Amino acid sequence: MEWAGFPMLAAVALGLVATGLPAFMVLIGVALFFAVLGLVAGALPYPVLTALPFRIIGLLENDLLQALPLYVLMGALLNRLPLADILFRAGSALFARSAAAPLLSAIGLGALLAPMNGSVGASAATLSRVVEPRLLASGVSAPQGVALVALASTLGVVVPPSLVLILLGDSMLRAHTEAINATHLAARVINTQDVFQGALPPALLFLATAIAVAWLVGRGRSSRLPAVSRLRAGEWLAAFVALTAIVALLVAVVSGHLYAVEAAATGAVALFAFGLITRHLDGPILMAALRDTMGITGALFALFVGATTFTLVFRALSADAPIAALIAAIPGGPAGAAVATLVLLGLCALVLDAFEIILVIIPLVMPPLLVRVPDAVWLAALTLLALQTSFLLPPFGYAVMTVRTLSAQRVSDRALTRALLPFLAAQLAVLVLTVAFPALTHLAQPASLAATPRSDAQVREQLENIVPIAPLEDAK
Amino acid sequence: MMGGWLGEANRAVAALIAAGRWLVLPVSLLLFLQWPLRDLVHAYSIAANDLAQWLFALYVSLALTEATRVGTHLAAASFAQRYSPRMRRVIAKVAILLCVMPWSIFVLVAGAPSIWQSVRTLEAFPETANPGYFLVKASAFLLALLMLTQALLDVLSAKDAR
Repeated sequence: MEWAGFPMLAAVALGLVATGLPAFMVLIGVALFFAVLGLVAGALPYPVLTALPFRIIGLLENDLLQALPLYVLMGALLNRLPLADILFRAGSALFARSAAAPLLSAIGLGALLAPMNGSVGASAATLSRVVEPRLLASGVSAPQGVALVALASTLGVVVPPSLVLILLGDSMLRAHTEAINATHLAARVINTQDVFQGALPPALLFLATAIAVAWLVGRGRSSRLPAVSRLRAGEWLAAFVALTAIVALLVAVVSGHLYAVEAAATGAVALFAFGLITRHLDGPILMAALRDTMGITGALFALFVGATTFTLVFRALSADAPIAALIAAIPGGPAGAAVATLVLLGLCALVLDAFEIILVIIPLVMPPLLVRVPDAVWLAALTLLALQTSFLLPPFGYAVMTVRTLSAQRVSDRALTRALLPFLAAQLAVLVLTVAFPALTHLAQPASLAATPRSDAQVREQLENIVPIAPLEDAK
Repeated sequence: MMGGWLGEANRAVAALIAAGRWLVLPVSLLLFLQWPLRDLVHAYSIAANDLAQWLFALYVSLALTEATRVGTHLAAASFAQRYSPRMRRVIAKVAILLCVMPWSIFVLVAGAPSIWQSVRTLEAFPETANPGYFLVKASAFLLALLMLTQALLDVLSAKDAR
């Protein structure tokens, strides 16, 4: 039932948009429908389906996924404790001489909080609440404020060790294992650490470019005294300790001294301690944070459960064969295949969020792509940059839509696009640079993971080791 | 409002979830303690990880149903928002009947023999021999059981069972 591949994906897209049902229900529903079809047609052996409970047990015993509730807890605590507010005011005070101070503070705060918050939605919620009102009070226009908050919310997609990076690292590990098994290449399978290290140079480059753009845009505006209250000595101390702790955690994770899960746990415990010491964490706030944490953790795991059910049936029906054949047929060599797949991921990001893409789309497109493009670190970094760009594309980009929903300001599409344009141009420049110079993603690690691209004939033979694909003549 | 056994079941699920909310705190603490235990004490790090593992599994098994109860599931609802509330309720109930209930029954039935075997023998963690691995497997059963119970509550109640 190879033909089922595209109908299954189309059914998911249609089911999501037309019913408005939770994504996990749609994934389970489509999987069940095609599983029954497969059983009736004799194309799906029943014992394959009985692997489902063991796949769910696999999710529950996955070490990496333990980080998930910890990131969510950090996000929930950050949203209720005054730390983000203190950091923003400290940033504004530090840059007080520049008219661009609020803009620079917003991006700086996004860069600091995004890796702790983990998801674009959680960052958008915190930054919309803390930063946007202060930006407006400082004389920043509403479109500029929404654009800056949306931009800052997406920094977690590329700045390690956020949740998106951890999950992509896990997905890439599986995809790379499949590709290496198919190619019999003597290469080390990438891990989350490699993805962190690969994403860091382009992330820093983008961060520096975004800060430069914010400074250029901000210095031209009419200066109004930022409406920030003076920080007390205790708040300066809290800002200093928080900044030092976040940077230390980041360095420890990227250098491999601390596992991502341990870093997340350390952040959660530190925030909890901060709340207790400053007496901001009382009973009702703790209960609300625990309620939020469980609700959001459950939503993310439901997506895992839906995705694992969907991919089990998808693979059992050999429905990934047409996708592998399509990727094998993309012209332009490895770079052409990579760019075409990035465009596809970018289009998916207009409908799906980062988690849905990483759990459903990446496992399907990455194994055959990695057969053609063996540099898994480069592909992972490009995927993150492409996702970040898509989240910022007005009017449907995920971050743009989320921040607009949360904002009290009504901003027209045209004004928002104009405000976002310089940042999108900077993002596109970093993306193009990363496509053109894969070595950029290997600056923080040895280049041993970048293997030599193979010929089309080799690629075809190796793809057939993943799934049997029809001869090209037949496909035409 | 739900009365009778439906109300009892709803209250039992709510109480179980309310108790489970706290589990994220020991999970955070145990995973945080891993690195000082590994790098400074040079002992008990793996035990902390295994303990956190089954607490985490238990937490997640409860969290899925909590997400359904508080409505935090990820959905692309921008188009479907145009439907009437009644229409959306009908779509949700049909999806529960055709997707969630068969799925959770299948997981319970297909997973029961292996999970029961694990619980009966109090299976330990395969790599470390620390006790408690059977709780990870039992959590998968609990996850499906709670999803089925919540699905029944949602389908049988006049309004949403929250």
